[in-house]
Amino acid sequence: MSHPPVYLDHAATTPVREEVLEAMLPWFSARFGNPSSVHRLGREARVALDEARERIAATLGAQHDEVCFTSCGTEGDNFAVLGAWRAARASGRSAVLSTPIEHKAVLAACHQVAREGGTERLVAVTRDGLVDADDFSAQCDAQLAVASVMWVNNEIGVVQDIPALTAHAKACGALMHTDAVQAFGKIDFDMRTLHVDLLTISGHKIGAPKGIGALFIRRGVMLEPLMLGGSQDRGRRAGTENVPYAVGLALACELAVRERETEGAHLLALRDRLEARVREALPDVVIHGAGAPRAPHVTNLSIPGTDAETLLMALDLRGIQASGGSACQSGSVGMSHVLQAMRVAPDIASGALRLSLGCMSNAANVDRAADVLITLARKARGLATV
Amino acid sequence: MRERVVVAMSGGVDSSVAAAVLLEQGYDVVGITMKLHEDGADVPDKPCCSLDATSDARRVCEQLGVPHYVLNLVDVFTRDVFDDFVSEYAAGRTPIPCVRCNTFTKFRDLVVKADAIDARWIATGHYGRLMDASHGRVLLRGRDPLKDQSYFLWGMPKPVLSRLLLPVGDWTKEETRAAARRFGLRTANKPESMDICFVPHGDHIEVLREHLPADAAALSPGHIVTEDGRVIGEHPGFARFTIGQRKGLPGGVSEPWFVTEIRAETREVVVGPRSALSRNTVGAHQVNWLAPVPEVGAIVQVQVRHRGACVPSTVMRADAHGIDVVLSASVQGVAPGQSLVLYDGDIVLGGGVITRAGRGALPVLAA
Repeated sequence: MSHPPVYLDHAATTPVREEVLEAMLPWFSARFGNPSSVHRLGREARVALDEARERIAATLGAQHDEVCFTSCGTEGDNFAVLGAWRAARASGRSAVLSTPIEHKAVLAACHQVAREGGTERLVAVTRDGLVDADDFSAQCDAQLAVASVMWVNNEIGVVQDIPALTAHAKACGALMHTDAVQAFGKIDFDMRTLHVDLLTISGHKIGAPKGIGALFIRRGVMLEPLMLGGSQDRGRRAGTENVPYAVGLALACELAVRERETEGAHLLALRDRLEARVREALPDVVIHGAGAPRAPHVTNLSIPGTDAETLLMALDLRGIQASGGSACQSGSVGMSHVLQAMRVAPDIASGALRLSLGCMSNAANVDRAADVLITLARKARGLATV
Repeated sequence: MRERVVVAMSGGVDSSVAAAVLLEQGYDVVGITMKLHEDGADVPDKPCCSLDATSDARRVCEQLGVPHYVLNLVDVFTRDVFDDFVSEYAAGRTPIPCVRCNTFTKFRDLVVKADAIDARWIATGHYGRLMDASHGRVLLRGRDPLKDQSYFLWGMPKPVLSRLLLPVGDWTKEETRAAARRFGLRTANKPESMDICFVPHGDHIEVLREHLPADAAALSPGHIVTEDGRVIGEHPGFARFTIGQRKGLPGGVSEPWFVTEIRAETREVVVGPRSALSRNTVGAHQVNWLAPVPEVGAIVQVQVRHRGACVPSTVMRADAHGIDVVLSASVQGVAPGQSLVLYDGDIVLGGGVITRAGRGALPVLAA
């Protein structure tokens, strides 16, 4: 292949940043202590962990004890929804409220609530993927334990009005959770002014490794733990802490926040460039969520007459790495539940590609990706489809 | 520029070796595993797949250093293969889903995908061979009579032959396994899968129960009758029976009973002695030709079931819609729904789905 591959799947994961890796390394080997140990190695690890927690808290505008380490975004989402609902059970609040366009980590947790005897409520979304605020507020009542809405949608990049939705949830006395895995480092927020109770972040979307995340838990909010055992993380999450990854996450968070404005502007320009190039060649391209506010790094588009499965394969063979609706374990492409909820016609939804930009994106590779995509789409339209 | 070939990889040893051989021959290999049905339906939210077979195919491709993709063909497979499987059993016939999968899913749907990635060739791990004849490429039986799969391949669109590669068709299974070991493939010693892929434990009744209404005739009790109309017992549903079957029938007085006919309309399973199974006329529909259509009166070899005998036969009708043949020797157990495949020596001429079989001369039908 004459060109190096073009990675356009940053919303799936990102490479570990060099400075992050470097910061982590000592904690794997020379400074390998268990933070719970009383000896010197243990103390050292404990200090590193506490410091990492403080630094993450600082990037959120939170108190250090409001940061709970997790293994991933999914754990954060599960813990927030299930933990909050289980803790509220005794008080008679039996419902959870979410949206049909959440990450499966939230949707599956809501299904679990239903299996455990609770009520699962879903809010309507518009054709652009925005949560219907009136419907949301109408479903906030005295039965509601926790509401959960993803801030930046991982498939389409649409940004929800989390402060407004939070106000509705708080007004009825419920807890508010947001999955901010795609929002962190893209949207400016501060937990001192934002009133959400629970907020999930994940390391590997921002240059930390896979296997670490954090859940912001506002002081006073009670969650029933998912992991039982020792008293780590104030008893909220038993199990020996992953010190090197926590150190890595802290630095990645700081860098993401520090670079947010410049990186955001850079990615937005690239995304607009990509979309414009595709639209110029293929004017009937459908950009999902285009009518709603969107985060700068994601575009989800369908080219009528193409199907994503074939296109992704053809793109990969030309070195362009993108993704489809929702990847499943086998690696085959399934219909996106997000686009379905947005009432996108099935033949359009089945063509949806998610191109997500990040640290590896630049004008040249975005142009090349657009050109290859245009060529392949034109070719696909000339062929019969199954 | 190396020519690109899409290798349909099931995760088994045959297709793994096919991929390795083609890579060695200098092709630009792309491995594809077709996801044909939902697995793990008992897991919440059907988190499709995670199939060990898919993982095996992916790991083989990774070892070979070639790309691998999973194509989700669940919808088309369900429509073209699975639904037909259910409705055929419901109608008292004995379908071969593999034939329809080869006809539609592999050699129609997969070809479309191959076109989209500029693949000149399609390859599988089937035991069949290809040869250039004066009138174009033809499909031959696999060299190993024990593994020959040509009986399942007659339905593929003829144009596919000119872009098909069957790298293991010249080998015995042992030779294929030896090649797999030589390549160091993890699938070298994988056991043979004999079951239909969507019938997990070889029990098609389970599958039918899930997909037919509870009161479906095929799964409802009916009479077991002799050919002269005598009721000799009850059966729990005719879908459990196929022509020539002995299992599940009452003991005979002097000789065992065999199923000779299934009458779906009256839910009757007709039985007779072994001699009553003999048939020498067979008719088929849903025809496909892979070679020039034989003329009426031509002598061809005919096979009416997998690994069944190949019998010289006279063609009474052969056209785009039907085949009728008269066999030179009777065969036993000809089941509607199975395939009638015509051969000229090792060459597959074409085939069809059996609709009827009889004894005696078949009336010559208008062409």
